[in-house]
Amino acid sequence: MKKPHSLFYHISVFALAQIAWLLLLGIWIYWYVSNYIIFEKVGDQISPQLIYDGINSIPFIGGIVLLIGISLGMSFIFRHLNVQLRLHKLYDNFIANVTHELKSPLSSIQLYLETLNSRNVPLEKQKEFYKLMLKDSNRLKNLIDSILEISSLDQKNIAHDFHIYNAGDEIIKLSKEAILQFNLPEDSISFEGTANCRFVIDKNALKIVFNNLVDNSIKYNLEKPKINLKMKCGLKKVIIEFTDNGIGLASEDQKKIFNKFHRIYNKDIPSVKGTGLGLYWSKEILKRHGGNITAFSEGKNLGTTFKIELPIYKSSKVRYINKLLRRSKEYEISRK
Amino acid sequence: MNQLLSEKSKILIVEDEETLAVGLEYNLSEEGYETIIAKNGKEALEIFENDRIDLIVLDIMLPFYDGFEITEIVRKKDPQIPILMLTAKTKNEDKLKGLELGVDDYLTKPFHLDELLLRIRGMLKRKTWYKKLTNNISIYKIGLSEINFQNLTCSRDGKDFQLTHSEIMILKYLIDKKGETVSRKELLENVWNISPEVETRTVDIFISRLRKHLEIDPTNPQYIKSVRGIGYIFNE
Repeated sequence: MKKPHSLFYHISVFALAQIAWLLLLGIWIYWYVSNYIIFEKVGDQISPQLIYDGINSIPFIGGIVLLIGISLGMSFIFRHLNVQLRLHKLYDNFIANVTHELKSPLSSIQLYLETLNSRNVPLEKQKEFYKLMLKDSNRLKNLIDSILEISSLDQKNIAHDFHIYNAGDEIIKLSKEAILQFNLPEDSISFEGTANCRFVIDKNALKIVFNNLVDNSIKYNLEKPKINLKMKCGLKKVIIEFTDNGIGLASEDQKKIFNKFHRIYNKDIPSVKGTGLGLYWSKEILKRHGGNITAFSEGKNLGTTFKIELPIYKSSKVRYINKLLRRSKEYEISRK
Repeated sequence: MNQLLSEKSKILIVEDEETLAVGLEYNLSEEGYETIIAKNGKEALEIFENDRIDLIVLDIMLPFYDGFEITEIVRKKDPQIPILMLTAKTKNEDKLKGLELGVDDYLTKPFHLDELLLRIRGMLKRKTWYKKLTNNISIYKIGLSEINFQNLTCSRDGKDFQLTHSEIMILKYLIDKKGETVSRKELLENVWNISPEVETRTVDIFISRLRKHLEIDPTNPQYIKSVRGIGYIFNE
């Protein structure tokens, strides 16, 4: 396969293109001004009928505007190309990660199958091997499910079933469900504050967000995960602060972690399983709710805090939230 | 079958995927090897320091120290210990990096059990052969370079380069067949002890490393010359 050109190559082409059009503009101005001077000096003598009336400068100014337009267009294309290049790179990372994730359990399953096929394995051992194979096939299943989930989410199905709930009750419920889903003991999460206000959410979509946060607090942790969840109702927003005791986040990663396919590499935990899409989708889901998510960390091994903000019903983004509710109703009716 | 060879051999399995490590341990034990598992780089280096290890099966992505770092540390202390890299990383640059750092063999996941066992057997055999082969030869001069078969070093212009076990075995094989064309297939069968269908690129990587140490101009080799489409020929 042809190797994509480097960023340096694109920058060089862009710079050369800019130099080319600036040169063209310079030559053009020079040509125009020199002709104008000649015309001023000898125009009357050559053809007295031609009278300069100032309207001739319109094509000149128009030309400059057009050239500036071309330049802006080129800058826009350049910017777009760079975004594509970055995405391409990240997509390569994603493929490499997924391939690695698929290969590890697959090689283990293959090893056990070949062992069972070629050796006289005692019954006890056989049972142990079957268990390990099941564990690996589950891992494969989960990975395939998450890849399939990506494609379904990609079709703008992020969230569609919006209803009004009491914020505090739902936050506790969803986070407890996530804890259960990952087989963590109940006391691994503690709650602080109350959120006695209403918000509009798609429960299933928000469940994905909480599952992702709990999953990350397990994966990016050298110890047993401990989660603290603070919640409160502000004037316009419900604020949830989800803090774990994990490895923390470097300052340069605090924004990047929400980018598509972005993954953090930590030397102490190099084999973290994942696709680099969990937090990207969490952010997309919250955006769809009219909310936002940001991450903050005090530093290495000092845990990470994810701050989620969601609009309070009838206090913020009223029109947008009403539109979500209306569409949900329409969606429900269309399904019936 | 390989009882004589394997009964004393202790293999360190450095693998953080628990399910895979258990399967490897079972199979290697069944083959008569003694095994020990390290789940991360730190553990692996501790075991290597404190235990007598005959061969290391090494993953790349490991906590604390990755497979490449472990190879570098191990190679500084013991140039002779055979290292087999077993990893899901299939990129050529990873493979090259591993081999350049001194890994003897590289196998990608998923792998066939038979192939893994064959490679391990081959590596351990090479280790034993090496001792026998180098009993009657300790120092050999090639141009400006001096090869010490006892401590696996190559000296040139007052500088010492550490050679790996596999590199020295190839060199020994080529010296023994001086003036004859040696095919890649032959090298794979006799030096690596593996099926020639498996990998021929590995041979080229090792030859290019040897040229770096022996040749004045590795791009225009004088001693280890390529024979197009076949393999290599050693001449002085």
